[in-house]
Amino acid sequence: MELKEILEHHVVDHIWSWVVLGPLHLPISKHLLMMVIAGLILLVGFPLLIRSRSAALAPFRAMIEIVVLFLRDDIVLPNLGIKGAAYVGYFATLFFFILIMNLIGLVPYGATATGNLAVTAGLAITSFLLINFSGIKEQGLIGYFSHLVPKGVPGWLYPLMFPIELMGLVIKTFALAIRLFANMIAGHIVILVFISFIFIFGSFGAAVGLGVAPISVGLVLFTLLLELLVAFLQAYVFVTLTAIFTGAAMHPH
Amino acid sequence: MEALIRPEFGLMFWTITCFVLLALVLSKTAWKPLLQAVEERERAIKHDRDSAEASRVAADKVRAELDVRMNSFRKEVQSRMDEARAAAEKEKDILIEEARKSAGIIVESARKEIEAQKNEAARDLRSKVAELSVMAAERIMMKHLDHRANTDLASKYLAELEKERPELKLGN
Repeated sequence: MELKEILEHHVVDHIWSWVVLGPLHLPISKHLLMMVIAGLILLVGFPLLIRSRSAALAPFRAMIEIVVLFLRDDIVLPNLGIKGAAYVGYFATLFFFILIMNLIGLVPYGATATGNLAVTAGLAITSFLLINFSGIKEQGLIGYFSHLVPKGVPGWLYPLMFPIELMGLVIKTFALAIRLFANMIAGHIVILVFISFIFIFGSFGAAVGLGVAPISVGLVLFTLLLELLVAFLQAYVFVTLTAIFTGAAMHPH
Repeated sequence: MEALIRPEFGLMFWTITCFVLLALVLSKTAWKPLLQAVEERERAIKHDRDSAEASRVAADKVRAELDVRMNSFRKEVQSRMDEARAAAEKEKDILIEEARKSAGIIVESARKEIEAQKNEAARDLRSKVAELSVMAAERIMMKHLDHRANTDLASKYLAELEKERPELKLGN
């Protein structure tokens, strides 16, 4: 078995069947299942948790509350200003959706939906829409596009700067998608490589493989912990960058 | 390996659909009650803080008032004590003065008494001395008395007197 096959088995999506809805060919896949699980946790678990009054669940309630308040007070409101209060729900959903999808990838039998470029691209497209929607809503269509080029740029540079800024809008969101995707998949690939070491060395002799195994397992555990950190970090980064771009679109100065 | 980086557009559609629906539903069902609860608590905390601030201000005022009153009390006590001390001083002076005066009187009367006693004693002494000297003189006179010489002397004096004052001449 080659590494390619192992990688494709563990990291790449498995499409089980297709649904045809008019012109749309929609896959039913492992990553979709993981996304649906994450969605159900958010859709069912969170409202119940937030509305419950039981003391046993209070710590979890407090955790959600701390995260939401952090998002509101340290990410959304500083970047978006007073009007950002209306967007807190969006950013909280974005954060927890990405976070839970990231974390499901660390659970046995789970798969990392955010390690799929289609998923991260979908999230980035929603961010792109949000950025432009909020900018146009705040400044008007003409105001938004006329403020796309930063102030103080000499007039003759406008023909050059305007396309660059338009491209920049797309590139920013593209970078969002690639960043999340690459970060989530990198840890998995590293873990697979460490596990593969055992068998690579094992091919020299069983004793060598057994000797390498503890080192490999230790490194895998370390990488898993790193991935746990990255799961939170990348959810935070995605949300923060989306908030910064949205804020920049709303307040060009 | 290009399966790894080939985006599946159907999955992208699913992602966008899921996420938009989640954002719409969760805004109503999860974040709204959460943020409402938080805001309620923040308001309660703000209210508590405000009332605590108000009571602190009130306590400060009361303390300042007490301080002022304390100071006035202290000043009054001080002034009363000063007054009392001054009165006591005056009283003491008066007493000393009186004592001195009465002592002077006593001394004066004692001196007078002594003077009187002395005078009396002197008078006594003088009368006794006079008596003694008279008695002594009498003794001496009695010793030196000579009847004839005296008679002659008396006759002679009488004659002289008769000569000077003839109207007093006895007979003849």
